[in-house]
Amino acid sequence: MAVFDTPREAFGALRPACVRLTQAQTAENVALLRARLAAVGAAALQELQEYVLYPLRLALASPGPRRERLAQSAARGLAAVLGATRLRGPELLRELLAELCACLGTPPAPGPAPGPGPASEELKLAVVEALHALIHSADGDVILSLYRPPALHLLGFAVSLLLGLAERERARQVKISALKCLQALVLRCECCQHRQLREDEEQQCGDSFASFLPGVALALSRVITADIKQGHATTVAALRVFYQVVGLVMADEQLARIPENKEKPSGEQSEVSKLVVHRGPDWSKNTAEKLSLLLHKIVERSSVHSHWKVRLELVELVHHLVRNCRQSLVDSFTHLLKAVVGLVNDENSEVQSRCNEVLQHIAEQQLVAHNRALADVLSENLHSLATALPRLMNSQDDTGKFATLSLLLGYLKLLGPKVNIVLNSASHLHRLSKALMQVLELDVTDVKIVEDRRWGSGSGYEGSLQHGVQKGGCQKKYFRFFAEEKVFQLLQQVCRVLGYYGNLYLLVDHFLGLYSESAVYRKQAAMVLNELIAGAAGVGVDVLQEREVPLDRDDIKGAITSVLDEYTDQANWYLVTSIDAEEASHELSVNHSGLAALPGAACGSVLPPPDPRVTTRTMNSNIWQICIQLEGVGCFATVLGKEFRLLLLSALYPVLEKAGDKTLLISETAMGTLVDICEACSYDSVQCLINENSDYLVNGISLNLRHVAHRPHASQVLDTMLRHSDASLLPLVEDVIQDVLSTLDQSYNHQASTFLGVLHSLMAALDEVPPVAKLEPSNSDTEGETPLPSHAQLAKDVMGRCIHLLSDRSLRVRLKVLDVLELCVTVLHPHRNHLLPMAHRVWPALVTRLISDDPLAVLRAFKVLCTLAQKCGDFLRQRFSKDVLPKLTSSLLSQAPASARAGPVYSHTLAFKLQLAVLQGLGSLCEKLDMGESDLNKVADACLIYLSAKQPMKLQEAAQSVFLHLMHVDPDSTWLLLNEVCCPQLYEPPHASLQPVKLRGMGRPRNEFTDNVLLLLEKLQQQESRVLQAGTQEASPA
Amino acid sequence: MAAPPPDPQFVLRGTSAAVHTLHFSCGGQEPDVPVLFSGSENGLIHVWNLKTHRVDKALDGHGRKSVCWVETMDGKDRLLSQGRDQKICLWDLAEGRASVTDSVFTENVGFCRCSLLKVAEGRWLMAMAAKALDEVQVLELPSKTSVCTLKPEAGAKLGMPMCLKLWQINCGSQPLLLAGYENGSVVLWNLSMGKVLSQLFCHQEPVMSLDFDSEKAKGISGSSERVLSIWSLNEQQNLQVHTTHRLVNSGISDITIRPDKKILATAGWDHRIRVFGWKKMKPLAVLDYHTATVHCVSFSDHKNPSERLLAAGSKDHRISIWSIYTQT
Repeated sequence: MAVFDTPREAFGALRPACVRLTQAQTAENVALLRARLAAVGAAALQELQEYVLYPLRLALASPGPRRERLAQSAARGLAAVLGATRLRGPELLRELLAELCACLGTPPAPGPAPGPGPASEELKLAVVEALHALIHSADGDVILSLYRPPALHLLGFAVSLLLGLAERERARQVKISALKCLQALVLRCECCQHRQLREDEEQQCGDSFASFLPGVALALSRVITADIKQGHATTVAALRVFYQVVGLVMADEQLARIPENKEKPSGEQSEVSKLVVHRGPDWSKNTAEKLSLLLHKIVERSSVHSHWKVRLELVELVHHLVRNCRQSLVDSFTHLLKAVVGLVNDENSEVQSRCNEVLQHIAEQQLVAHNRALADVLSENLHSLATALPRLMNSQDDTGKFATLSLLLGYLKLLGPKVNIVLNSASHLHRLSKALMQVLELDVTDVKIVEDRRWGSGSGYEGSLQHGVQKGGCQKKYFRFFAEEKVFQLLQQVCRVLGYYGNLYLLVDHFLGLYSESAVYRKQAAMVLNELIAGAAGVGVDVLQEREVPLDRDDIKGAITSVLDEYTDQANWYLVTSIDAEEASHELSVNHSGLAALPGAACGSVLPPPDPRVTTRTMNSNIWQICIQLEGVGCFATVLGKEFRLLLLSALYPVLEKAGDKTLLISETAMGTLVDICEACSYDSVQCLINENSDYLVNGISLNLRHVAHRPHASQVLDTMLRHSDASLLPLVEDVIQDVLSTLDQSYNHQASTFLGVLHSLMAALDEVPPVAKLEPSNSDTEGETPLPSHAQLAKDVMGRCIHLLSDRSLRVRLKVLDVLELCVTVLHPHRNHLLPMAHRVWPALVTRLISDDPLAVLRAFKVLCTLAQKCGDFLRQRFSKDVLPKLTSSLLSQAPASARAGPVYSHTLAFKLQLAVLQGLGSLCEKLDMGESDLNKVADACLIYLSAKQPMKLQEAAQSVFLHLMHVDPDSTWLLLNEVCCPQLYEPPHASLQPVKLRGMGRPRNEFTDNVLLLLEKLQQQESRVLQAGTQEASPA
Repeated sequence: MAAPPPDPQFVLRGTSAAVHTLHFSCGGQEPDVPVLFSGSENGLIHVWNLKTHRVDKALDGHGRKSVCWVETMDGKDRLLSQGRDQKICLWDLAEGRASVTDSVFTENVGFCRCSLLKVAEGRWLMAMAAKALDEVQVLELPSKTSVCTLKPEAGAKLGMPMCLKLWQINCGSQPLLLAGYENGSVVLWNLSMGKVLSQLFCHQEPVMSLDFDSEKAKGISGSSERVLSIWSLNEQQNLQVHTTHRLVNSGISDITIRPDKKILATAGWDHRIRVFGWKKMKPLAVLDYHTATVHCVSFSDHKNPSERLLAAGSKDHRISIWSIYTQT
């Protein structure tokens, strides 16, 4: 743009304007000069700097009625010149500074605090910008002349002027410019043109500003804490200037160089030197105290400022001061650290990340570690926070709680390894732990926790948990004092950071103390312990600095072992979590037996009766207690990795016990723990875990079976093992199954139901034994002599027990037994020589079930009978026809009218199910057992009425199935029977000498049986023709 | 309510045969894991890791014939085992090896367990039943040179030796041998002269097991009868019955006095282990776990008393481990 590049040309261009302005100071003339200036190159202008400045200065200072506009224009002109050139004379700098300042206020001589005059906003802005340009254009040495004592008053004047503008001016632009200008004056201009100051120069600058510090700090703090209407930019700028000034004057580096005593001022300077502050220890201590008050106020206001840039600047303030004034301002650190720690979870991510950087920096510098005073400050902060925590947790909302806990976490992180100072003080540890106990209190009012039972716990064993097992991890917990998950995560971090830095022995010991001190703390203490150990191992812990001493594996192993021992201690592991329905029903059944009449003979039950005072709340609490402990076990496994294998000896059994628990939450949590253990110890699956450690489990089961009355879980563990594993487990547990059976023999009365669960799982597992293995020995004739394969032997043993239990008082037990029995038959099937004697022994009890028991039991018993018939065949024929068949047929006959009349609801009744089951099974039963003719007739008679269209559809179909089977056994008599009912065809005798065929069904009108009978006859026809075809095909080649 | 019956601390399973002999070796330094050796009817010697409670190694050196005695020589790296294959094997187990480095052929067909005594550094004496049915032979190890053969006088009619115990009053003094015989007598032998010093007829049935406390000069023996015999040795080297202790059930297969001489344990045919105070034979505990005859009992030599254990091996294939130090 520059048109005039050489000084000569420039001079030619500028001279007329300068001359005119010198002669007449008018705004127009200034404007003219400024216009010319725009066309002059910077290098040329530099040469002419003083020449051009002269008329402008003249204009600036000229008195007159229209001076405002003139001064403003002149100031702009000055700014333009200075902006393009460098100022090389200290004298000139001072003069210009004085003149510019004078534009806005009275010279500094008389009053100590000159305020800005009643100038217009535009003028002020122009002047401030000119000032800024002036300071900017001054070379290093030149500007430094301002900070020598002689210039002090001038500097002071400028500073106070700018502060006045910043504080009292209303126009935002002016305020900000004034602050920027002030910043330049502290030599902390943001542009990077300036050369780095030397140490002594910094020192000099600091010395000068020390004199103004009180005024500057006060005024700026007022600006910072002023109404937010001034806009965030002002606040940000003021904050920046504040910490620049404070950081400069209070810099540890500078203060360290200050001699103890003030130098004697040399004569001539003495007057001015009085103004210069001596930054000795007393002064700095005094000043720090006052600053602390201001900083407190600033932090309070700015940390909650609505604009994130202000909060960000606050973080910068902390960073700057912590970096430069860590000794001089140590008393303010309480506030400073609180600010940055509190902002670490700011809603604004930029503030967050900067905060983290700053904290990281603080930690890396080991400011805390190497500064006892700072550590003290932090631990005091921590103490007072811990003291207030319970109250705050009660009164604050979740956001407030989050902020409070963030602060707590921040302090701990900053303390880092020094956290032990806090922990070693009994009172600190006490406060902190009690606060945690209170905050972590769980909400145990939810009834569902207690009510949710494991599916399949009632009757079925369907629930092989092999599928859908999920990774451990925490169950969602509900706390009394907060709802948000992130609050819990903070608490988790608090504990983990404690564990990471703290003395693990001390902590574990303390919290184990709380754990056993009161049931009120037990859950929380366990939660804390889990997290402590995770933290100690560095799992999921977020810290600012590494700990000083690396983790000692033996320490953590020791800690884990002792916590584990405590968790799995009987008193803490076997808690009342339900008023068990089975126990209850058991007692009920005993009561019915009449024993209850004797008050003293307490039913023979060794289990203490469930305490009526056990409330849902207690049970809920106990459930959580167990879950937290289970989570702990999983966590410990994760921490120790493969080393946890050594602890499986004691830890696996209790977890498996809980995996079989009836309370859904507990069994799910335990499954999660198993998965955790699997991963930690690098087993491929839960099944591998169980199989490879079956020796430990078997040991636990065997020892616990000895006290089955007190510890009824042993069989559950076996049950769980079987359900999570497959037949490959059997050889490993064979040993203990014998123990189970012999224990069962000793306690039929009390534990039958539990044991049956195991037996069922066992038989189900045996049923899965590969068929090759099953069939192997069955082909030998001398089987009676060769020993049974072990699994078949087991089935036989179990079957023996079933015989006893088939007549148990409790229907539930009887039903279970029937299920087990059926499986036994299936398993024993290939070993006929063993199965038949057993079937013989079972028979009487089974018959009783079939003919005089609850319909439910009859139903199951009939199923067993069908299976048995399939396997034993004609062995049962006689017995069946004598003991069972009459009963079955008569019941079918007697029920038929009822079902014929019944409405649609009938199909939901037990009677219907029974009819259906019998009809569905009877056909194949007859075929399997190869029944004799009279029996078949009985069956046919009983089933015939069910072919009636009045019967429910399902029963008709079932009855059809019976006849289909009968057709196989004896097609001719079935044909006859059906035709007796309904005969669709006329049979012409082939020869007249033969008598005509007369069947009773001939010519009958259509009735309720017609449809079904016709259908059956058609099927019979098809069957016969198939047979015929097959016969001819066979015959033809011959 | 009475305290529930004590439980074993752990049960070791997996020998798949009756267990006949047990021996602890827990003396090693920290990274060294305490182990228990077990010998069973199927000829296998199992080395049990007492930290994991699992078999570290199974040694097969007796041709599947029952192992009736195992003993270590200076730590767990050198093991002696005696089998019904009439062989005594010396195993080298150091650094994961498992090889038989030497063996002695006893030619004896009886059940008598050997007895080992360390007489000097690197020098042991081992007493074993010899080829002739009533003889006992003492060898020096590791040289295997015969020290003496103890043959009863012609008309003594002691029958076969059933159990042996080599001992000495203190280090360097004359080693002596106590032997229990088929005819129910306990005999004290002088090794150097090969002469009987004393004979005590204390059982009607063969002596199944004996142990001797050289400090109190008192010993105990058991047989298939329902009685334990406690006898003492006076200064004239004469054995005399001190007292007898009646048992509830008959049959004792093993007796071991704990190394600290405070208590002793017996292995009973009634499936039970009984623990007595040694001083007055006060019954302290009946440990009931096994489902078949208990064949052997052994105390551990762990340095730390709280970790010392009692182990019992049984015909039911199981080895029960009991922690009785903390309780008594």
